[in-house]
Amino acid sequence: MFQNTKCECGHQNPTGTVLCEACGNPLVDDLPPDSPLEMRYDGAARRSQKQNPDLIDRVWNFFSSVKVAVWLIVITLIGAALGTIYPQESSFVNLDDPAQYYKDTYGTWGMIYHFLGLSRTYESWWFIGLLVMIGTSLVICSLDRVLPLYKALSKQQVRKHLNFLRRQQTVYETTLQTEPAEWVEKFARELKRKRYRVWIDRKDGMALLAEKNRFSRWGPYINHIGLIVFLLAVLARAVPAWHMDKYVSLDEGQIKQIPDTPYYVKNEKFTVEFYSDDELPERLKGTLRPKLYETKATLYTCTADCDDPVKDPVLVPVKQHNIQVNSPLSYKGLKLYQYNYEERIRLISVKPMLVDKTNNRSYGPFELPMTDPPLTYKAGPYTLKLSDVYPDFGLDEQNRPMTKSRDPNNPAFVFVVTGPGLAAGGEMYIYFPMPSAENKKLQDQLNESFRKLGSNSGRFAFEVNGMENVSFSQYTSTLNVRVDRAMPYIWVGAAISMIGLVMGFYWQHRRIWLRIDGRALTLGAHTNKNTYGIRAEVAAALGRTGIAVEPKALDNRRNKR
Amino acid sequence: MNDWLNFSSNAFIAAFFLYCAAFIGYAIAVAGKRWSNRDPEGHAKRWGRIGFALAALGWLAHLAFFFTRWKGGGHIPTSNMYEFMTFLGMAIMFAFIIVYLIYRKVLLGAFAVPLVIIIIAYASVFPSEVQPLIPALNSIWLKIHVTTAALGEAFFAVGFAAALVHLIRVVDYSRTDKAGRRAQFWTEFMLVVIVVVIGFLVSVFGFRAAGYEAQFRQETFRIDLQGQGETIVQTVEYGLPPIVAPYNSEKLSMDPFLGLKEPLFEAPSWMNGVNAGRKLNTIIWSLISGLILYGIMRLIARKPLAAVIHPHLDGIDPDDLDEISYRAIAIGFPVFTLGALIFAMIWAQIAWSRFWGWDPKEVWALITWLFYSAYLHLRLSRGWQGTRSAWLAVVGFIIVLFTLIGVNLVIAGLHSYAGV
Ligand code: HEM
Repeated sequence: MFQNTKCECGHQNPTGTVLCEACGNPLVDDLPPDSPLEMRYDGAARRSQKQNPDLIDRVWNFFSSVKVAVWLIVITLIGAALGTIYPQESSFVNLDDPAQYYKDTYGTWGMIYHFLGLSRTYESWWFIGLLVMIGTSLVICSLDRVLPLYKALSKQQVRKHLNFLRRQQTVYETTLQTEPAEWVEKFARELKRKRYRVWIDRKDGMALLAEKNRFSRWGPYINHIGLIVFLLAVLARAVPAWHMDKYVSLDEGQIKQIPDTPYYVKNEKFTVEFYSDDELPERLKGTLRPKLYETKATLYTCTADCDDPVKDPVLVPVKQHNIQVNSPLSYKGLKLYQYNYEERIRLISVKPMLVDKTNNRSYGPFELPMTDPPLTYKAGPYTLKLSDVYPDFGLDEQNRPMTKSRDPNNPAFVFVVTGPGLAAGGEMYIYFPMPSAENKKLQDQLNESFRKLGSNSGRFAFEVNGMENVSFSQYTSTLNVRVDRAMPYIWVGAAISMIGLVMGFYWQHRRIWLRIDGRALTLGAHTNKNTYGIRAEVAAALGRTGIAVEPKALDNRRNKR
Repeated sequence: MNDWLNFSSNAFIAAFFLYCAAFIGYAIAVAGKRWSNRDPEGHAKRWGRIGFALAALGWLAHLAFFFTRWKGGGHIPTSNMYEFMTFLGMAIMFAFIIVYLIYRKVLLGAFAVPLVIIIIAYASVFPSEVQPLIPALNSIWLKIHVTTAALGEAFFAVGFAAALVHLIRVVDYSRTDKAGRRAQFWTEFMLVVIVVVIGFLVSVFGFRAAGYEAQFRQETFRIDLQGQGETIVQTVEYGLPPIVAPYNSEKLSMDPFLGLKEPLFEAPSWMNGVNAGRKLNTIIWSLISGLILYGIMRLIARKPLAAVIHPHLDGIDPDDLDEISYRAIAIGFPVFTLGALIFAMIWAQIAWSRFWGWDPKEVWALITWLFYSAYLHLRLSRGWQGTRSAWLAVVGFIIVLFTLIGVNLVIAGLHSYAGV
């Protein structure tokens, strides 16, 4: 398209200019003749409209098109919707054979769904690619427009071409009955009262420009900057060092290291509460409706001997918090969330007595913790040496004792008792602190077999006197440990975005131009949104200067119909 | 039930009837303009004012319902479907009042008020008793997130109402070309959909008032995450006469209805989600009663419903309707962004340790937002104003409703959840 870029007012415009930068006269002939002018970016030329584009220009042009942006948004939208047809793989805690699962649960469609990779939509290359393209488009589109718009708005000419005024959305023409200079002063005063900034050009006949809320034009761009920051932060979460997502399960009273950190966490106590029947409405009575899940937790940091396999680490408490579902423990970017719980009785420690069956005397009690028990104990004149621990006692195929797992589900302790009146090598006894008939029987059988082997004389037994000598955990609480160093940027991006949206939507950029040629008044007004509002404002200001006019009559679209 | 809750449910009933009265006022304002011996302008103004006053009173009763329920129940009533939908109705009324105060168009009320009536009637389909909060919902962010999201959606609803008026206003019954017929068809289709929704409400409340009941014993086979198959036996209760029985089920009891003593057929096997059979049955009933209702209206009117309404709308400029619809959406967009996305992310971060988890509900909120941002970008080029933009506003609100209701009923229907 060949275009003469020199305007009749004498101003030389860059190629691609639609409305003369100085007087606003339309420069291209193919604009629809009888509709209001397209006022986007004030008709300024944009980089993407350059002639003879090279490769970079072509990429730029592609991403600078709002049409392409809308397509990207719509495709992303459809892709996101497809991902909700069946549950995503990521929504399962463990799924060993996803293909089989989708086939079994959802039949042929499930199989196709999984085959197409839709069961991992949001991690797929194409979905992430779309987000990256939206980001690129946001940057280029905004740059392509904000610079020309900024230039156009910062050097506005007051006197505009009649064509420009007559082809605004809001137009008014009349013949003034009063002195033009005086009327303009009066009109300007009215507009100032409405918080317009007003410029008047008195050189050849009166001309006026009034403008307000220009800042709202930057709203969309600020919003886009916010979105970019947000998207970058989302991508940054892929950096491993910025991100941690682990689970720690703790019995009450248990303390554990948080993997890969110097922190330790202790579950002091876990509480679960349910609503009682009189708190529930009729239909829910008798159901278990949870009221509270809470882990009283203490966070420790290790200050010395942290990696020493021999010594215990030195721990200093740094934070205490009652972790609930909506109230995580938070310490220096590390967050602990209530994730799950399980009812599982576990002993923490017991205080048994050593009973001498020959004379029915008991010695002790001595304290026996279930985790990291000390190697020796004193009970009266006797010394007990721990020779073996089976945290989760079981028997293998040859009926030999073994531990089924490292979890203290059913611990058993083997002691060697030495002391006055005993052989120098001592006597060996096994002890099951978990009280159950089965354990009792097992304990008796095993000790009996030790006796037959000559390891003991059957003289000693263990006994716990009352519940005050047992401390146990009823619940195991699972905490989710999170580090997410990108979060602050996420929130900053979201906040910037919101500021931009509010600026762009709750204020509107309004401009009113007028010129008086002889006594002929021509007024044009433009707003990027809410033409209703600007018509009302212009009509009110005109009314106060003695020109009565209905707001509706200013609507240029209506007049053309 | 305590006194606050008693008062609250009375206030709700009062609000409902005041809205109905307001609708009648608006209908007279719009339809009665041509009645003999009247100055049309004055008539519309007077009845419009009466309609607005009644609607505002209804809204005050609605507010009273909300706050007394809050007081009586001990937590903000936005925690289940009944409470959320009634809140949405209240928010739409608020958005309507704001937009009305800006534009003073009586006609808008004639469309926004019935929308509110339908929404709160729909809310009443769900159990209305106050349920104590489970720990996951016990957060200040529940209040903040749900209320702002609903407010944003309420402005979209008003944008939808204005867009619908716009579409009926501009549909041209003198055109016989393809595009003209298409516009006539789809405009009418929207009204049919609305009548089907009313049909749904009529059948649910009709049979509920009559105390209708049927019960089935259903066996479902499911594979759990460990790959173990298990069979679950459950009782499915119907409030509507079962045309469709649940898949793989056995009738336990069934009140006869018009000679219908047995279900006519069984739901197909792929509809094995919880209560899928019942949902299908409800849809069939809604279609039947909606279409009967529509048929009766057509018989009385003897022309398409849109053609009945169309001539009453000539007092309003389509460009104004376009502007109102756009403006309502433009007001709603930042509120929705804040409530449905940003506050939702903050809450998710606090409650579930991740600000975003691609859960279907979250995804659909994002889809709604992307859709409206496409709408806004399309409006930047002038081709997408007027009718096209009005259709987008209609589709946008359908997406909003799907996010609110459909996700629970259809997608989560594979998992669980409430429903009729
Ligand atoms: C795909 C990349 C995107 C591109 C290329 C793009 C481009 C644009 C452009 C050129 C404008 C016009 C600004 C003006 O008035 O001068 C705009 C406006 C806007 N954009 Fe975007 N945008 C994109 C994505 C988004 C997204 C994802 C949102 C989501 C909120 C968004 C929200 C807005 C809003 C709210 C406006 C103002 C609309 C109005 O004034 O009616 N944009 N965008």
